[in-house]
Amino acid sequence: MKANARNRIVIPRRSKRLYYGHGIPGVDVAQLSGKLIVVEGADGSGRSTQIAMLVEWLEGGGHATVQVGLKRSTLVSEELEKAQEGNILSRTTLSLFYATDFADQLENIILPALKAGFIVLADRYIYTLMARDMVRGMDEVWLKNLYGLAPEPDAVFYLKVPPEELVQRTFAKNSALDYWESGMDIGLSRDMFDSFMTYQTAMEKTFQHLQQIYGFTIVDGMRSAAAISSDLQKKISAVLTGK
Amino acid sequence: MKTFAELNFPGRLIAVEGLDGSGKSTQIYLLKRWLELQGLKVYFSEWNSSELVKAATSKGKKRELLTPTTFSLIHATDFADRYERYLVPMLRAGYLVLCDRYIFTAFARDVVRGCTPEWVRGIYSFAALPDLTFFFKADLEISLQRILDGRPQLKYFEAGMDLRLSTDPYESFRMFQGRILEQYLAMSTEFNFLVMDANQLVERQQVIVRELVAQRLGLEQFRRAEHHASPMLPVELPKRFKHEVPTE
Repeated sequence: MKANARNRIVIPRRSKRLYYGHGIPGVDVAQLSGKLIVVEGADGSGRSTQIAMLVEWLEGGGHATVQVGLKRSTLVSEELEKAQEGNILSRTTLSLFYATDFADQLENIILPALKAGFIVLADRYIYTLMARDMVRGMDEVWLKNLYGLAPEPDAVFYLKVPPEELVQRTFAKNSALDYWESGMDIGLSRDMFDSFMTYQTAMEKTFQHLQQIYGFTIVDGMRSAAAISSDLQKKISAVLTGK
Repeated sequence: MKTFAELNFPGRLIAVEGLDGSGKSTQIYLLKRWLELQGLKVYFSEWNSSELVKAATSKGKKRELLTPTTFSLIHATDFADRYERYLVPMLRAGYLVLCDRYIFTAFARDVVRGCTPEWVRGIYSFAALPDLTFFFKADLEISLQRILDGRPQLKYFEAGMDLRLSTDPYESFRMFQGRILEQYLAMSTEFNFLVMDANQLVERQQVIVRELVAQRLGLEQFRRAEHHASPMLPVELPKRFKHEVPTE
């Protein structure tokens, strides 16, 4: 039994990892033995459920995990939250504030965890940050340079759920649409429902565009959580065994 | 990259750059007073002074949380906030905008800290170039003395301690400033710096600064309309001249 359990633990193969661009000075990502798995998708697309299921599955399989997300850095998350309340940041400032938050977590959590051989599960990554900014009219080349500091993940899953369904899921949980997730700061419409639909449709289109560049896996988020998870597990197994 | 004049802004931006202790803040302060006293529309902005970002920056510095990348990004955030909310609107309204340090400070410092020059320049590419950039070039020893004489307690990042050049803050500061000076000098031609001999007397330098500004910018167009007479605001002294008023 014990021997059996040990046999089932997959020893991960080392990834050929690169940065997207200039990277972090002094850190060679090729030397990091962990894995970086990203789950992307709108609020209500089932990201947290999927990540929770992956943690169960990975830990059961003998892998150590660490979770990261957006706006969780020690350095700026509180200040970013505060600044957003007043909604007075202009778009370049907001963009750079988020990039600072991301870089802080990258250097203090993601890279050390990868170095220690952990499987890092990222609840959203640079793609959400880029998509949000692009929908707000920021220059794509500028964003690519900025986020050239990020390492390429081993797998990226985008949970695709149409805006009509996102609305239903949001109301079932919160009974209110989020100001930023509705893109109200852009002034698409005074009507929050219309704004949400327009904004989420634009986000989805932008993700499709980014998918063509970064080649992440689009996952149909309309199926049951278990069906989606088994999909993700299959792909992650392939990453671990290096196939 | 273009200047504000080339982009047809009615306003003009003047920046001063140089090492800590080169006397640039004194010079831009005197320039500001001269322009204001002529009844011109003037706005002054200092590096690393955005209210929104300040809390995060000072926390990062105090707790030594910053890496070269986050150091660079948080200063870029600060700059973007001032640029979008103050500098650009003021320049649109035909103001003379004076900046104590501009993007070149980041170009020099961040690169010395190890960031890739292309990455840093790319981040700041949303900003237009100043119409005039004065670079105050003092002998390294003179700049160092001015700082070290007055303020013996050097802060961690200010001394470049994060670069691990030396465990002695003073030695570290010297080496750090020396490397920044090299970066400035390398940029000087590319960005048309007006190089000032900062070893000269304050007054001699100010004569040249005022002459160049008058010559190059045609100051009459920045005059405040008669009916918008400038209110007599209390004069805001630069930080280093502020004296603590003892409270009871």
